[in-house]
Amino acid sequence: MIYVENLKKEFKKTIKEPGLKGSIKSFFKPKNEIITAVNDISFHVAKGEVLGFIGPNGAGKSTVIKMLTGILTPTSGRCEINGKIPYKNRKNYVKEIGVVFGQRTQLWWDLALRETYTVLKEIYEVDDESYKKRMAFLNEVLELEEFITSPVRTLSLGQRMRADIAASLLHSPKVLFLDEPTIGLDVVVKDNIRKAIKAINAEENTTVILTTHDLQDVENLCERIVMIDKGSKVFDGEISALKSKFGSSREMKFVPENPESVSALDYKKEFNLRDGDIAVEDDGYTYSVRFNSNKIGVEKLLNYTLSTIHVKDINVGDADIEEIIKGIYRSEVKLDA
Amino acid sequence: MRKIFKIYKPFTHAGVLLAAQYRANFFFFILGDILRCFINYFLWHAVFTSGGEKTFAGFSETDMVVYIFISFLTSVIAYSDGSYIVGEEIRDGNIAMRMIKPIRFDLTFLFQELGERLITVTMIFLPLMLGVEIYKFVVTGVIGFNILNFVLYLFSLILAYLISFYFNVCYGYSAFVLKNLWGANFLKDCIVGFLSGGVIPLAFLPPALSVALNILPFASLTYTPVMIYVGMFDAPTIIISFALQIFWLVFFFILQQIIWNACVKRMSVQGG
Amino acid sequence: MRILHKIHRTFKLHRIFIKQDLKKLMEYKIDFLTGAIGMLLTQAINIFFLSVIFARIPNLEGYSFEQIIFIYGFALLPKSIDHLFFDNLWAIGYFIIRKGDFDKYLTRPVSTLFAVTVEKFQVDAFGELFVGVLLLGYSVPKITLNISFLNVILFIISIIFATFIYTGVKLITSSIAFWTKRSGSIIYMFYMINEFAKYPTTIYNRALRAVITYIVPFAFTAFFPASYFITGGNPWYNIGGTVVMSVILMAVGIFVWNKGVSAYESAGS
Repeated sequence: MIYVENLKKEFKKTIKEPGLKGSIKSFFKPKNEIITAVNDISFHVAKGEVLGFIGPNGAGKSTVIKMLTGILTPTSGRCEINGKIPYKNRKNYVKEIGVVFGQRTQLWWDLALRETYTVLKEIYEVDDESYKKRMAFLNEVLELEEFITSPVRTLSLGQRMRADIAASLLHSPKVLFLDEPTIGLDVVVKDNIRKAIKAINAEENTTVILTTHDLQDVENLCERIVMIDKGSKVFDGEISALKSKFGSSREMKFVPENPESVSALDYKKEFNLRDGDIAVEDDGYTYSVRFNSNKIGVEKLLNYTLSTIHVKDINVGDADIEEIIKGIYRSEVKLDA
Repeated sequence: MRKIFKIYKPFTHAGVLLAAQYRANFFFFILGDILRCFINYFLWHAVFTSGGEKTFAGFSETDMVVYIFISFLTSVIAYSDGSYIVGEEIRDGNIAMRMIKPIRFDLTFLFQELGERLITVTMIFLPLMLGVEIYKFVVTGVIGFNILNFVLYLFSLILAYLISFYFNVCYGYSAFVLKNLWGANFLKDCIVGFLSGGVIPLAFLPPALSVALNILPFASLTYTPVMIYVGMFDAPTIIISFALQIFWLVFFFILQQIIWNACVKRMSVQGG
Repeated sequence: MRILHKIHRTFKLHRIFIKQDLKKLMEYKIDFLTGAIGMLLTQAINIFFLSVIFARIPNLEGYSFEQIIFIYGFALLPKSIDHLFFDNLWAIGYFIIRKGDFDKYLTRPVSTLFAVTVEKFQVDAFGELFVGVLLLGYSVPKITLNISFLNVILFIISIIFATFIYTGVKLITSSIAFWTKRSGSIIYMFYMINEFAKYPTTIYNRALRAVITYIVPFAFTAFFPASYFITGGNPWYNIGGTVVMSVILMAVGIFVWNKGVSAYESAGS
């Protein structure tokens, strides 16, 4: 379905020297610096799969999505979707995909939402019969009815996102690209959006590629993730694999009777641990200790903690995916696959 | 006075930086406008050739050319964004924030614009003025630059800018009524451009109209300084013109103050 | 059949956006009115300016007042029609590319140029169109014109192609933004050259005449075609030139646009 091989994107950045002289100089003889936004990324996605594309800010997620959607031309490497190469024969290709950029709308700001869909119907040449059916389906999944006559600019962020997703699905695309579909939304709305994405994927076996910051999105929607950092791929596999691989990471949470007493705890010194093996965080009330269970046993840790301070509550559990990924971002967990 | 400068100097600095940042854009925009001067230059040249007379309404061809370019420069310097800025602030509601700051609303804009003017003067004004003087020298064969006229012109120009600034701030308050200000500003610029002699010297107009326009504040914005520069005003006329300019400056300054006070009152009663 | 379908689609999209822009106009009535009055007034002042000049001279380089008004009015027609349909090109130069908003046009299965221009129907242009028609209405009865079927056809042709001279210039200059992120001021500078077209080019010096004839050929948007109608000049040069210049500019414009689209580097992350 989707094949990406050794994809690479470089941007030229003009270095501007300060001052008027500098700008005149750079006007006639620009000094360029080459920035590699995406470096040698390969992966493939099967039909009907929901792939989570994650990574920290500036990792190159959006650049990859833009290459896959034909907005940017790769510097080198190949990507092929449905046997088509996005940046060649763009007009033909984009009929088969739907794209949503969470940060900006592709709807017409001043048009009533219904009008927007009429425009898209014409642009994508959807016939009247399929359009009717399609709108009925989208309306059911995304609940557009309540605001379909309002101008887009008056919609709330959550409504706008639903409208945007519906717009990208009007022409029944085979692949749906979602770039940060839940950004800036509150928890309830996020949940609705996720349900809708699931329904669409289930109903039509639409392949979905989504980038996100929100790891809840990933845990809810995806079986597989590709993680990139600084333009390179750092992980590709199922979420359960990620968990079992880094499952040695555990978490102990406790609420101390007296927060001041916590300063008496010094795990690193007591067990002679390195920075990467243990980390303590607190929100002023609950303390959480993330630790590598290969280096330090749960029992020892509990014993030490309970003998040093008094606690109101304590428990030990698996670190969730979020914690693991945070760890990877901070390079605490080494990825030596 | 020194205290005022100390407080408002950062705004001037910001103005300089802002103008410097957008200077490439600014430069192309001005270049586009200068084209219009050249159209007028050729048009008048054709008029003088076709008419067969040496002077029109007291203007020789050289006078006319100087008038075209110097009136353009004067209007660039004397143009103020005041109405636009005030309009924006009213529409986005930021004007309420101005009330809680211990600095004067008008002076912050004024000093910021002064900063932008520094760039305009060095990049546009001085080179183009030099060009006009060189033209005069080439055509007439004598150096026609008159220090006294120039100093009087500068004085008049500064007054013109200040009048323009306060007039525009007053006009900007119309955003309370007119809301979206693009059209209103366009209309204003169009009317002011004509009434200030920017399109055609007021001396060319029918006498009654010309006299009336000379008294209105708009003549003070462009026509008065330029006529002083060209040397077509005699001493009594210059004195009367200065008096008129000062009168209009005081008028708009006080008007601005009254409107602002009314706004403060209205906002503190209605809550913005 | 395919072509018919395409035309149908184009008109339908135009209709939706036109309807919308008219609706918006009702919403901002005062602003539209003041803007339109401003446009009218600008032209009125210019006409007044010309009449003041003509009060003192019998003719301008051999052209009567009415002939000048004809050229002036003629100039406003292609200008306003371009303004009406292709105004969004300014936005390309000012902010669409800089803000990365061009992305969305690339995800649509229509040409990017069509997707951009269809979006906006600039109602303000009616002010200029109105004045242009008014001036022609005033001047035509007063000058000797050979009104024949052929000339009416030639008139329509020259207006259409003159419109695309405007569009071509805007297309080329706005495309610069694909490389520089913004080009609004450059569009402005070149666009302003159109002002030269309102008067007989014979009043300008040779270098300037060459520029507005061959480099930024706005002379072909008004003076050349209009002078065919007024003085019966060579139609092959005066109107043929308009067609040729228009085709060249549009071809270059579309070429530069397409180059620009493939060089487009979306904004931010």
